[in-house]
Amino acid sequence: MALKQKAAILGAACLVLLLSAVPGHAAEKEHGTVIGDADIYVAPDFKAQRVGRATRGRDIFLIERSKIDNKDWAHVLATIQEGLLQPREISGWVDGRLVVTVSTPNADQIIYGEAVDSEHQQELRGGRQKADQDAMRLYYRLYEYFPGSPLAAESLWRAADLRWQLEKSGVFSRPSAREMDANSRSQIDDETMRELIKKFPGTRWAQLGAYDLLDNKICGDWKGEAKCPEKESDMYEHYAHEYPQSPKAPEALYNAAWRQAVLVDMYAKERGKADKARKKSLDIIQELTTKYTESDWRARGVQLRYLLEQNLPVYGQ
Amino acid sequence: MNARRLLYRLALAVIGLALTCAAADREHATPIRELVLAPQPGGSGQSVAQVERGRDLLILARSSAGNEMWLQVTVLAQPGTRQQEATGWAPAKLAIAMSSPNAADIIFGAAVDSEIEAEKPKGRRSAPDDAQRLYQRVAQFFPDTDSGREALWRAADIQWQLDRARGKKPIDETAMQNVIRKLPGTRYADLAAYALLENQLCGDWKGQAACPAQEAEIYERYAREHPRSPKAAEALYNAAWRTGVIADIYRVRNNKEQSEASHNRALALAQELANQFPQAEWKYRAETLIYKMQKNIPLYGTSE
Repeated sequence: MALKQKAAILGAACLVLLLSAVPGHAAEKEHGTVIGDADIYVAPDFKAQRVGRATRGRDIFLIERSKIDNKDWAHVLATIQEGLLQPREISGWVDGRLVVTVSTPNADQIIYGEAVDSEHQQELRGGRQKADQDAMRLYYRLYEYFPGSPLAAESLWRAADLRWQLEKSGVFSRPSAREMDANSRSQIDDETMRELIKKFPGTRWAQLGAYDLLDNKICGDWKGEAKCPEKESDMYEHYAHEYPQSPKAPEALYNAAWRQAVLVDMYAKERGKADKARKKSLDIIQELTTKYTESDWRARGVQLRYLLEQNLPVYGQ
Repeated sequence: MNARRLLYRLALAVIGLALTCAAADREHATPIRELVLAPQPGGSGQSVAQVERGRDLLILARSSAGNEMWLQVTVLAQPGTRQQEATGWAPAKLAIAMSSPNAADIIFGAAVDSEIEAEKPKGRRSAPDDAQRLYQRVAQFFPDTDSGREALWRAADIQWQLDRARGKKPIDETAMQNVIRKLPGTRYADLAAYALLENQLCGDWKGQAACPAQEAEIYERYAREHPRSPKAAEALYNAAWRTGVIADIYRVRNNKEQSEASHNRALALAQELANQFPQAEWKYRAETLIYKMQKNIPLYGTSE
């Protein structure tokens, strides 16, 4: 009986140990990414069968590192996506030199540098294809792995903005983008932008994010109707007053003033409304030129004031 | 016969000098919108010429017609271009005279406008050239102001980018040399000197070490000569990256000694960059470069 009890206790202990070992094993895996496109092999051998490719910035789990024939190998679990296929998880071996994990010294700086590199690559004529997407993933990984890094907020902004610009070019190239109402077109996914504003409130990065978000509210084609520039002018002015320190504040004020100037043209046959819009535009220009004296937007404001004073048309020019 | 020819030449010279003096006396202006020159004030009659934004106008006379001021102007041709000179009347509100209130800001603002227009996917086709000319006018009309200095650089930079996009090789250096000559010791001169390096770069390296070696030297020299330039960090990075590439080229050729020497030199340059420019984005690219070199990750064939 005592023996049976002992066996039962031992069995239970083994079971507890076994169960606790499973999450323990998962926790030992290190998050990381690759800073160059890395082919994934079934075995640590460049001649072994290739099962996929992890592109820059993909999230991977490092299972183990190994040195074979003086070459660094990393056994990884990676989520990859090739072409239009569904993302899939695969495990395999990659060139260990390309794997940067949370425990790599200066990992945040290395990932950031590679992301900047990719962004630069995108701007080069004949640069690497989809380098902007590499940059976007790398910036996001930095924020994800090192939320306390001095580079985290800027990285999340850059990731969010790259994603925003990619989606924006898609949304605004569709026929629905020509509809006047912003709700008639699909919206740019704002999940990452909202995450940025939530995680880093009050920073210039959050202010830049808030400016991008306005894209989802602007009209498509105005179709010569006043309600669009009216609404947009209010929206930009509201932004400039809510975030006066934002690098985008002078641009927002200029946009607000320019839309009011457009209303002057639109209300050509309604003098009262035209005069009101002209006054509003001139007031905003005054605010722009006195508050932001160092910016290019100030000179544009001065030019806009001249156009208004000379009764030169703004709309359609 | 010879005396008659001499007299004829003398008369031509006198007329030329008189015109130059008149041009020097008269006020200049520039259009901030494309305009059409009319044969008389008021705009009636067949148009004389179409004038693009930023062209240099010489004001000959002023007149009012139909409650509006008009300027009689000669559109001057830019030396070295195919531009035609023409004389006619333009509405004063579209041609900003140098003495107009806030003229520098208005023309500068129109230039920025055109520059932004040029960046739009469906922007006005002439926008880059318009921006270049408008900046040129700000620099010409107001050379001793902050706007004038900034505009001189921007005009030269846009011209450089346009020449490059149009496939000119080597790119005409006149405008950049002008920036260096007129604004010595300024950030604009530093930026112009950096732009000029492009004319010294190889085309295809063809896997040879000579080209990256020469380019690395050019960039390093620039960084040493212009340590406060906004481009100093980038130049140092370019020197380090090219030196790292040379190490790869020698390693592939089993030239271990030269490979190691280049490797160490590249590391030293990248380290210098990381230490000297702790705030610059290039610092982080240098850190990544150092990591790659320490791990012997090949640089050649990868992004610069």
